[in-house]
Amino acid sequence: MELSTADSVDAALDELSRRGERCRVLAGGTDVMIQLARREITPEHLLHVERLGELRAVETEGSTRLGALVTHRDLAVGRLGPGYAAVAESAATVGGLQTQVVGTIGGNVCNASPAADTLPALLVHDAEVTLRSVRGSRTVPLAEFVVGRRVTTRAPDELLTTITLGRPIPRTGDVYLKVGRRSAMEVAIVGLAARLTFDGTGVVTDARIAVASVGPRPLRSVGAETALVGGTGDAESVHAAAKALLQDVDPIDDVRGTADYRRRVIPGLLGRAVRVCAERAEG
Amino acid sequence: MSVIGERVPRSDGRAKASGDAEYGVDHAEPGMIWGALVRSPVSSGRITRLDTAPALAMPGVHAVVTAADAPDTRAGWVLRDQRLFAADRVLYEGQPVAAVAADTLELAREAAAAVVLEIEPLPAVVDLDAALRPDAPLVHPDWESYVPALGPDADYPRHGNLAAESVSDPPGVDDAFARAHRVVTDEFVVQRQYQAYIEPKSAVGTYRDGRYTVHTAHQFPYNVRDRVSQFLDVRPSAVRIVGHTIGGGFGAKLDAALEPYAALLSKAARGRAVKLVNTRTEDLLTCPSREGAITRVRSALDEDGTIIARELEVIADNGAYSGEMPWLASIALHCARGVYQAGPTRVTARLVYTNTAPTGAFRGVNGTYLYHAVERHMDHIAAELGVDRREYRLRHLFDDGEELLNGQVLTDAGILREGFDAIEAAAPWAKLEAERRPYRGVGIAAAWWLTNPMPGTAVVKLHEDGTAAVITAATDNGSGAVSMGVTQIVAERLGIPPSDVFVTLPDTDVAGFDAGSQGSRTTRIVGKASQIAADEVITKLKDVAAGLLEAAADDLEVADGTVRVKGAPGTSVPIAVVAATATNTVGPIQGTGSFVTPFPDFNPGCATGLMLPSFPTPTYHVHLAEVEVDPVTGTVQVLRYLVAQEVGAVISPDGTYGQVMGGVTQGIGYALHESLRIGEDGRYRERTLESYRLPLAGDVPRVEFFPLEHPDPDGPHGAKGVGEGPILLPAAVIANAVGDAIGRPLNNIPITPEEVLAALQTAELRNVEEHMR
Amino acid sequence: MDVTLTVNGRREQVEVGPAETLLGMLRERLRLTGTKEGCNEGECGACTVLVDGLPVDSCIYSAAATSGRSVETVEGLADDDLGRDLQAAFVAAGGVQCGFCTPGFLTTLVAVLRENPEPSEPELREALAGNICRCTGYSQILDAVAATISGRNRR
Ligand SMILES: Cc1cc2nc3c(=O)[nH]c(=O)nc-3n(C[C@H](O)[C@H](O)[C@H](O)COP(=O)(O)OP(=O)(O)OC[C@H]3O[C@@H](n4cnc5c(N)ncnc54)[C@H](O)[C@@H]3O)c2cc1C
Ligand code: FES
Ligand code: FES
Repeated sequence: MELSTADSVDAALDELSRRGERCRVLAGGTDVMIQLARREITPEHLLHVERLGELRAVETEGSTRLGALVTHRDLAVGRLGPGYAAVAESAATVGGLQTQVVGTIGGNVCNASPAADTLPALLVHDAEVTLRSVRGSRTVPLAEFVVGRRVTTRAPDELLTTITLGRPIPRTGDVYLKVGRRSAMEVAIVGLAARLTFDGTGVVTDARIAVASVGPRPLRSVGAETALVGGTGDAESVHAAAKALLQDVDPIDDVRGTADYRRRVIPGLLGRAVRVCAERAEG
Repeated sequence: MSVIGERVPRSDGRAKASGDAEYGVDHAEPGMIWGALVRSPVSSGRITRLDTAPALAMPGVHAVVTAADAPDTRAGWVLRDQRLFAADRVLYEGQPVAAVAADTLELAREAAAAVVLEIEPLPAVVDLDAALRPDAPLVHPDWESYVPALGPDADYPRHGNLAAESVSDPPGVDDAFARAHRVVTDEFVVQRQYQAYIEPKSAVGTYRDGRYTVHTAHQFPYNVRDRVSQFLDVRPSAVRIVGHTIGGGFGAKLDAALEPYAALLSKAARGRAVKLVNTRTEDLLTCPSREGAITRVRSALDEDGTIIARELEVIADNGAYSGEMPWLASIALHCARGVYQAGPTRVTARLVYTNTAPTGAFRGVNGTYLYHAVERHMDHIAAELGVDRREYRLRHLFDDGEELLNGQVLTDAGILREGFDAIEAAAPWAKLEAERRPYRGVGIAAAWWLTNPMPGTAVVKLHEDGTAAVITAATDNGSGAVSMGVTQIVAERLGIPPSDVFVTLPDTDVAGFDAGSQGSRTTRIVGKASQIAADEVITKLKDVAAGLLEAAADDLEVADGTVRVKGAPGTSVPIAVVAATATNTVGPIQGTGSFVTPFPDFNPGCATGLMLPSFPTPTYHVHLAEVEVDPVTGTVQVLRYLVAQEVGAVISPDGTYGQVMGGVTQGIGYALHESLRIGEDGRYRERTLESYRLPLAGDVPRVEFFPLEHPDPDGPHGAKGVGEGPILLPAAVIANAVGDAIGRPLNNIPITPEEVLAALQTAELRNVEEHMR
Repeated sequence: MDVTLTVNGRREQVEVGPAETLLGMLRERLRLTGTKEGCNEGECGACTVLVDGLPVDSCIYSAAATSGRSVETVEGLADDDLGRDLQAAFVAAGGVQCGFCTPGFLTTLVAVLRENPEPSEPELREALAGNICRCTGYSQILDAVAATISGRNRR
């Protein structure tokens, strides 16, 4: 095995196009280093991209664009500014401080774990990902990029460069809630992100609900969203949304929690998320 | 000025905070090579093929050893039931089958992976009840041929999968149940708990000149010496164990682990030093964790609700080998009533072999789940009777002169009431009850415990510069028992600053036998032995100083770094001068001391299999916890935690509080976070720290601590054991508090969010149904 | 491959493997054994060191990624004002028991206090989530931080 450090995006793309599948991108390495140690991956080449300062930028003028190398810590301390509480909260739950200062949003997306915390938060903000290769550049909705448990549509020669989020909308509240046994350092048993927009009378006009750790990949529940729109976050609409959400998920028993528990927790969690969104939309 | 009870910084603190301290895992030797173990991937099976040739053929591999290279013998702390390597059958996942030594750690691990091991799986004995059925497969078909470590005369009740049994059946139990007004019955199931010290186990072994030397960070070096000597079939003095700074142990580093393998590998590698280090997963899978257990309790109540008899049965998981466990089985007898009168009590403790990693000592051995059972049961009874839980406890509480099931008399059990009072003053029960809020609950519980009595010895040696060295095989597992306790005790006696007292790391070639860092014994036993040794030093100092000061030795005292004439402090000579003079005239000054606490009187006929007959130097404990349950997730947060504890005398306030805070935290982890489940295949489900879940800074409150001090006349400065007590009760009080919060009993440990939420939702559903009716 | 970096203020040139961790490089190649390995999976924080001032788990940090960077370990803390204060406070307040977690707590706290000199106790408990102490139950570690903060304010 070899390792090289890219000093420009173009150089990285060249390297990727030359080596393709035999090459593994190394960003913060919080996933890759463990996978290497456990011999879950055996690449011939490691391409260290974490020095590419241009991928660390955050732009909030116009649409919100963040570079793939933005760290969880950057997000947790609010670099995206107001309107992205869910993103900040999700990033703040990724491991401990040591994981957050190193781990990147691009790595979390490309690793595509079913329990990836930032993915539900990005999904409720209508995230799109931009991938570049020597062949060109493409931008796809996040929901179409992460297609299965640890599976993305990234081609071997592509580098994730940018994530674009929808703009903040007035009278909107968002939140990320994570279920674990301890106060921190938990791989989500369930992660739930919500973003709700209200009209002046407290009626929900737009809704996004996304969950992690209840299926092979984090996903949005359009059914739950539809059930919430038109209501006021009242018990009835939350109940209907929870019912729809439970239909969209497919949790399993694993070492961290049972499928039964995951199902039991979802309705209450959704109710709590709706309440927080309503409070935040007012504030 | 006295240094007892003062905040004296620990003597090893600076080295630990600067990175200078050499832990076991840091130890290296010239020419050292690395070892790795080939471990069984299954919990039960027959080895059908073991081929080491591919590993031996790898360049850089020095040796590969298997059962064929080890003496054909069995070893063990209590019972010699364990082989160094699995020979024909494997009995638990992680059991060593072979060991390799190679130039680097990576190479050693690769070579271990290259050893061909084929195992035909056999059914695994996992379920404790099933293991005791007559048709259960035997974990040890040859159990009858095994011999206790102390010889055949030391044998004890055991049979087949029943690894040890202790039964006490006093008269009157059945009568009382027959006339009982009410009988309350419970069953409690607890999981294992992994000690999860942050330094995984390691060892560096060398074989030179016909002797084995092993460097290891260990709680009980003499026990390792004995185990290495048994496994390698050499006499004990052919083994030397050198101790290092320990990154935590909590009982798991009391018996040998990697040491005999490192020793044997060095011999096979022609004397090169060989280092073995566990990965975290190896460590977790093979650690002698706290045993899982099932406890069944029944109490007979009369018309007034008074307990008139009890029956308690505990079945505990021994794992595949016995280690220290048979010795601990009789603890059930000492805890079966908790600290409450319960009339005649029948106690049955069974220890069961299973195809799982051997269990062992963890701080508060057996007590954690016995008190959980007894105290949950007390809450259950009070609920059935509709009486106040605290009041009900006080009604039955032991008092001075209480005679126990084993005939031991507790002369000072009245301290318990002081404990309840101390807690009451800080957190009045009536107020807690009055301020109840939804999803909040409180629990209260009490316990008594022993201070381990086993022997220790120390030599105090005076240097010519007036400083003192304490030579002992006692270890400081981090508690400060040596770096604060023993250090302060010797400094106090010799009238020199604690910073002038140096305690050696243990070395079995140098220091006399010490029973190890267990059962909160070190400050008391080794402190006392050091005090006796220091007294001999003082006598010698006075003899020599008498000549220098032209005074009678009897008129002298040792204080403030000098030997001086009593009543005339101006007439003095520095200790350094006396020490230097002694070296050149009568010879260097040193003293020796040994100590052991006798077991309190007991009735030997009270039970069969009574290996730990009574509890010396009792201490008393009352805990209270307030918790909040998250109704959405079922997770539990401990909001407030109070401890009142009898400590004899506080030698070091920081050390004492550290033991309380640390022990309670481990108890909170045991109750709420930590998870070590065993699958039907006998394999652990949790295999990393990620899923094992140790409590974090955000998971525990600051413990409010109320020390009770009733000095023990035999202990140094009155000290009793401190370290173990704090872990006895968190599971009990938290379970009681959660039960209070959700209005339903939860009888398993750990209390999982799954169970809590399921209980809450079932209760809600019932409420809704009742409402609709 | 060779990496050149600064370790505790000293320039070092070290030969490392492509998958080698910073922890392995420090402990085995530079024999800086003050940094501890508790899990090798980023779960315990015993291996925490500072890379360009940020606290990282060196057990899952690529050694090659330190090229040109500055690494601070527990061995270097005595040269740092804040580091020295913390070390002394840990010993004085009972924040050290077995001490195996101590180097990781000290390095993490140096980074935390450099960024925010007066964190609240809840902030500290959160910032220390990646550092496990099995011995102390954390209270005396928090006491040590409080003593460090008040000591520095008095100066
Ligand atoms: C102790 C610990 C706790 C953790 N806790 C959590 C948690 O609570 N929640 C959670 O979601 N995650 C958690 N993680 C996982 C991890 O921290 C995150 O997934 C992190 O965001 C990965 O980022 P990275 O930069 O370290 O990725 P790396 O490990 O460098 O890479 C991850 C994957 O993405 C690929 N990749 C990275 N960047 C790019 C790019 N720009 N273009 C193309 N491919 C790329 C890599 O090739 C690799 O396959 C934890 C990890 C650890 C060690
Ligand atoms: S050893 Fe690095 S986090 Fe545990
Ligand atoms: S002091 Fe032992 S782990 Fe923290």
